[in-house]
Amino acid sequence: MIWEVFRQEEPGDSHEHVGNVHAPDREMATLFARIQHARRMQTNSLWVTPRDEIGEVTAEEAAFGGRTDKSYRWAMTYNDIDASFAEEVADSESEQREAARKRREALREEENEA
Amino acid sequence: MSETPRPDTIDRRELSAEQQAAVEELLFRLADDEFVHAERLTEWQIYAPTLESDLAIANIAQDEFGHARLWYDLLKQLGYTEPECIWERDPTEWTHSLLVERPFDAGDWGDAVLRGYLYDVAERIRLEAVADTSYAPLADRVGKALEEEAYHREHATNWLERLTADDDGQARMQDALDDLFPAALSLFDPGPREDDIVAFGFRTESLAAMRTEWLETIGPSLEALGLAVPDPDEVAQSNGRGRYGTHTDAWHDLYDEVTATYREVDFETPVELRATEE
Amino acid sequence: MDLETVMERAGPREFGPGDELPEKYRKAATRMIQFHANSEVMGGYLDKTFTRKAPSLDRKLANTAKVQDEIGHAQLLYRAAETLDVKTRAEMLDELATGEGKFLNCFHYPVDSWYEAPMIDFFVDGGAMRRQATLKSTSWTPYAHAMDKVCFEEGFHVKHGESILRELMNGSKATQERMQETFDVWWPRILQFFGPTNDESVHDDFAQAVGLKTATNDELRTSFLNMYIPKAEKYGLEIPEYPRIYERDDGTMAVREDDLDWKEFWTISRNEYEGSTEQIGSRRRRQDAVEWVRESLETWESSAGPTPQTAD
Repeated sequence: MIWEVFRQEEPGDSHEHVGNVHAPDREMATLFARIQHARRMQTNSLWVTPRDEIGEVTAEEAAFGGRTDKSYRWAMTYNDIDASFAEEVADSESEQREAARKRREALREEENEA
Repeated sequence: MSETPRPDTIDRRELSAEQQAAVEELLFRLADDEFVHAERLTEWQIYAPTLESDLAIANIAQDEFGHARLWYDLLKQLGYTEPECIWERDPTEWTHSLLVERPFDAGDWGDAVLRGYLYDVAERIRLEAVADTSYAPLADRVGKALEEEAYHREHATNWLERLTADDDGQARMQDALDDLFPAALSLFDPGPREDDIVAFGFRTESLAAMRTEWLETIGPSLEALGLAVPDPDEVAQSNGRGRYGTHTDAWHDLYDEVTATYREVDFETPVELRATEE
Repeated sequence: MDLETVMERAGPREFGPGDELPEKYRKAATRMIQFHANSEVMGGYLDKTFTRKAPSLDRKLANTAKVQDEIGHAQLLYRAAETLDVKTRAEMLDELATGEGKFLNCFHYPVDSWYEAPMIDFFVDGGAMRRQATLKSTSWTPYAHAMDKVCFEEGFHVKHGESILRELMNGSKATQERMQETFDVWWPRILQFFGPTNDESVHDDFAQAVGLKTATNDELRTSFLNMYIPKAEKYGLEIPEYPRIYERDDGTMAVREDDLDWKEFWTISRNEYEGSTEQIGSRRRRQDAVEWVRESLETWESSAGPTPQTAD
């Protein structure tokens, strides 16, 4: 049975997928995961979960709604409004700009491949 | 998908008066259905059974509004303005089907799910029927809408499967089906220029053929879930209501609510929020 | 961990589900996050009204996206609250429907016009965002994680709200007057959004001592006034004479608390205001109406269920 392993580096971080281990049950999986995925990397916590229990959404499925114009849900669209008056609004806008750029690039790559 | 129109397609500048009228009818049918369907779906926001299902139905509503906008934008290319398409258009000129204007009874999630299913299957069929349209500007946009529709159908069928799994849910879904089915058939009612729409190749399938495909798709699926699909010949006929602009009172009430602010504030033009960064 | 250790260690993202924390901490954190989550849901009851009333197709789209985000925030927050092992999400949602759950004062006032959209979407959301930004450094890590995502999204909400305000204040004279009237009604409620002055606040001392809260009501209100009064004035709104706002020696602004209706505020905080009854009643009826769906899903989960639970 395959168990997927998620590692949290520091307290407060999210757990990130780092790999998997073969093990007959949860206890053995935690035993193996510690060695395989935490023996060198700083680790605050590890999670293991049966691979079969993971549901996956593919890139194609996640791109639903990717091609109609959904600018209305991004802060940058409101470009007649100045966000700089409040740091948190400006931060949010720059995070959104970055996320939108990544999404656009991914879509473009997908289109080029198609 | 190619952005280059097929050689035998018609550009909007080449449309004859007859052709333009037919294209407009086709576009308004598409756009009005999407707009009114979306408007009703937003009634579920905050009211859906769980937080997760709330997020999902909201997304579907947004997609449908977005599709309405795709088609209204094509009408704008033909000289219409947003107020002429929506805000100042007489409610008796709207050509959406009777299915989408029905108000939801409180808690009738079965209606939301089943209406979504009946509508989304019809939408796939009619989008596929315009995929090879002779009207070039329309052809470019069909793919975008079809992509989003796959999620809608998955959403509807997943819910149908789960809700019909117990007796209470099954009974509710049957009630919803009996209620919605006659109105759903009006999705395939012709408008005054239906013959032209097909003759000019704006749509490559007749409404009759699409209706048959729809019945052949939804029938077996719903029956497999233990639901009895009414005989289309034995349900109350819409008598051309909907597509010819005759609507139920529920539509007129909805229209008044939707346009109330617009009528009051008297802005010069409705605000557009479109992509600013590429 | 005893309370003393908690206070000693208290800092940004210091504690998480792996820590054994005293009940007092877990209860205080649950109360705070549940209040926040409830407010996201109940704010939706107001914001939803604006979707139907929006005067352009794109505004309608923006509004429905905004309401969707708020429900998304509620989803994140109830989960963050659940990680404290005090209450389940179902319990918290039940409490909200029965009137036991508490939420922000501004969401106890039903709305019925588009002029109110910027009150909620710009001023209230702007205030909320001020507070949420400081909660990125709360000591309960799952709460901080939720705030990361919430703050990422909120920038759109505030700009969307300001854009609506700007459009209305560029409208006809009649529209501007309606806007000013609406502002006059909402302004005191917005000032009370940050709660009473620090010494009157019931739960705050403890929440700050254990790092759950990182800014005082007073600090938040002051910074909000410094940022949002100029915005209101920029668009031509007049700040009402009462409640009086004055400048302190250091140049920051403050409100004369005696000018605010604290009786109404405390009635609201007990869910006993007439608007509370209306909003909570609506919540309860809507939740009850779809109870059958949740039951149906539970039946499905326990029988035909997706994948059977793996044995330990």
